[in-house]
Amino acid sequence: MMRISFNTLFKPLINNEGISGRLFALGIIPALVFIPEATALNILTCEPEWKALAEQIAPHSKIYSATSALQDPHHIEARPGLIAKMRNADLAICSGADLEAGWLPLLQMKSANARIQNGKDGMFYAAEQIDTIGKLKNVNPTMGDVHPEGNPHFHLDPYRLMTVANALAERMAKIDPNHGESYRKNIKQFDEQWQKNIRKWEQEAKPLKGMQVVAYHTSFEYLFQWLGISMVGDLEPKPGLPPSGKHLSRLLKLAKNTRVDAVVYASYQDKSGAEWLSKQIGVPAIKLPMSINGNANDNNKSQTLTQLYDDLIDKLLKAAKSNG
Amino acid sequence: MLQQQLHREQTAVNNRCITKTALSLAVFLGYLSTSHAIDFDPNYSLILDGHYKSEKSALSEMDKGFGLGHVELSISSPIDDLFFGKLTAVLHTHDSKTEVEAEEAFIQTLALPGGLSARAGRFLSDFGYLNSQHTHADSFTERPAVYRALLGSHYFDDGVRVSYLMPTDIYWNIGAEAFSGKKMRADNIKDPDSVGVYNFFTKIGGDFNHEHSWQIGFNYLRNENGTSPWSRPAEFHAHNLHHKHHDEEEHHHHDHHEHNDDEEHHHDSHHEHHEKEHHHKQHGESLQHSDGNHNHHSNHHHGHDHHHCHKASYTGKDLYGVEAVWKWAPEGNYKYRHLSLSAEYLQARNITDNKTIKSSDDKHDGWYLSSVYQFAPQWATGIRYGEFNGLKFEDDHHHKHSLQETELMLSWSHSHFSTIRLQWTHQKGKGLEHINDNIITLQYVMSLGAHDAHQF
Repeated sequence: MMRISFNTLFKPLINNEGISGRLFALGIIPALVFIPEATALNILTCEPEWKALAEQIAPHSKIYSATSALQDPHHIEARPGLIAKMRNADLAICSGADLEAGWLPLLQMKSANARIQNGKDGMFYAAEQIDTIGKLKNVNPTMGDVHPEGNPHFHLDPYRLMTVANALAERMAKIDPNHGESYRKNIKQFDEQWQKNIRKWEQEAKPLKGMQVVAYHTSFEYLFQWLGISMVGDLEPKPGLPPSGKHLSRLLKLAKNTRVDAVVYASYQDKSGAEWLSKQIGVPAIKLPMSINGNANDNNKSQTLTQLYDDLIDKLLKAAKSNG
Repeated sequence: MLQQQLHREQTAVNNRCITKTALSLAVFLGYLSTSHAIDFDPNYSLILDGHYKSEKSALSEMDKGFGLGHVELSISSPIDDLFFGKLTAVLHTHDSKTEVEAEEAFIQTLALPGGLSARAGRFLSDFGYLNSQHTHADSFTERPAVYRALLGSHYFDDGVRVSYLMPTDIYWNIGAEAFSGKKMRADNIKDPDSVGVYNFFTKIGGDFNHEHSWQIGFNYLRNENGTSPWSRPAEFHAHNLHHKHHDEEEHHHHDHHEHNDDEEHHHDSHHEHHEKEHHHKQHGESLQHSDGNHNHHSNHHHGHDHHHCHKASYTGKDLYGVEAVWKWAPEGNYKYRHLSLSAEYLQARNITDNKTIKSSDDKHDGWYLSSVYQFAPQWATGIRYGEFNGLKFEDDHHHKHSLQETELMLSWSHSHFSTIRLQWTHQKGKGLEHINDNIITLQYVMSLGAHDAHQF
């Protein structure tokens, strides 16, 4: 009875779910249909940058990103769809440093998948491979939404990204030794290309040195440090709190005494405060893609990690230029 | 002296619906301080919850005036690579008495193969949509009327759960639970089964796209001790002949009832009054013997103010539930705006073995529809409508109880650790105490420490 109503209600949906969905609709118990996968690994990533990275190293894997660049990864629902994805994952790749504290533990527990529990080879935390900046020894709740384990948005530092990428390739080779050769070959290629890119980007971004911006707390801290941009004002009164009117007027006062070249916000952040401030100061407000496909309107611009970095630098350069 | 103290504590403890908790908490904390566990780095969280309520309301655990809600302290941690453990101790305050009870104390497997997981100890049942969620994650000050009536607000119990997550692209979980069922027992139940409750559930869910997600669920809960006996337990009557006579009288009286066969009559307050008078006159002398029974009466009339042990006040042998949830967030970004719609319908059948109840009447049921819209990072508003219809049995007659409840909520969260909520509740209905037109509740819910992940 339940099956009948389920099928009639959700038939269109099931048909979108691909082969297993259709088998399900036919009433074949999916548990019995373990089709051997031609793909190497079944991977769930917490953020789209890790999906892009995994695609470089393991192009034949089935990879799904739990979030997009338009979502704040701090505030994700542990949705049924994500639990189902986690259930079948051989490998989960997440930033860590508590970025996903509000939802990842629930996905791990509810997915009942022994492979991706903490401490298992199938759970890869990028933050454990590198040193984060902004680590805090004494955190108290009045400080807002801070990460004692440091800033988790390190994917915008190309050097740290490279370290993570190498560690990830090793991890993939460990859990899937049959394809170990291919992972090592791919990471070598990616590494060489990435080194070249870093040199190119550092050349291009020279004019950005000394640029002064107002931005949301820690989102672009790694990028700014790398490129020599200094953040002179924070749109958030406290980490995690939206910009209040009072806080914005304080920033406006600050802009009278300090040079501000641009107001920067990320693809998933609220633009209203940033835009108001940029108009008042008379400098551009730039929306930067936080990750892959972070440009809602020109999607083809940041589809790979290389394109993402190109795009970030390009947008910052434009803003710097427009200020003469 | 010490023994006396111990004895007193033991008695006090035994009088509660949840036993041993204060003691076991102390033992647990003692264990923590003396243990030599390596790398024991658990998550601690403390929820502070308090309110001011303008009026009493029907089927409510919250008293008028200032009060504390679900103040809870919880400790959780993986135990090793196979087990996870959690303890949640809850503070209840009512009538100037404060009690500590363990609402959760369970272990859960982390590494069973093939999507299987098991949980044992005391935990929130997976019956329905809201029940397994922590009350501090709720959008309204109290659970819907149908939950308060049929599940004792939120049903947690001692038992085991086994669940299996299908390896499908669509989320599909099936599970079974077995519980002691003490909190789901019908009043005056004779010789209860020690494993009283079996719950079978399935939840199916997925994403329509990155903005829309859904979940539906079907539940069947078998409650071996859920059927109200027609007559009171034998112990009550065994004392003397008076009681036997009394019993016969009641039968007789009941027949008289049936002659009238007037439903209104069943819950007519005049009638009820008359009933009690009759009872008193007839058994004036034996009244002392039937003290328990008498208490039952008075409990029934003021009962809900004292139901702090979350006992279900309406039970049945079979409890069915269906649930549906839909959530939407623009671009899937829940931080700035999101909307959630949820609805549940619950029905209890085989509620009494009183054969004079028409089979179409032999049920309690209720539902709610709730919509919550978070329209800014710090602001949310919500509306919920819910109904409950149930039968309450006294010795030889029953009352129809019904409640319709409309709630409007506005909440402000400074950060996701602190929420202040204003709620207006409008109640209509009959047969229940404290049905109130307008109830205003102002509530705060604050969490300290580890941020609990919230379920879908």
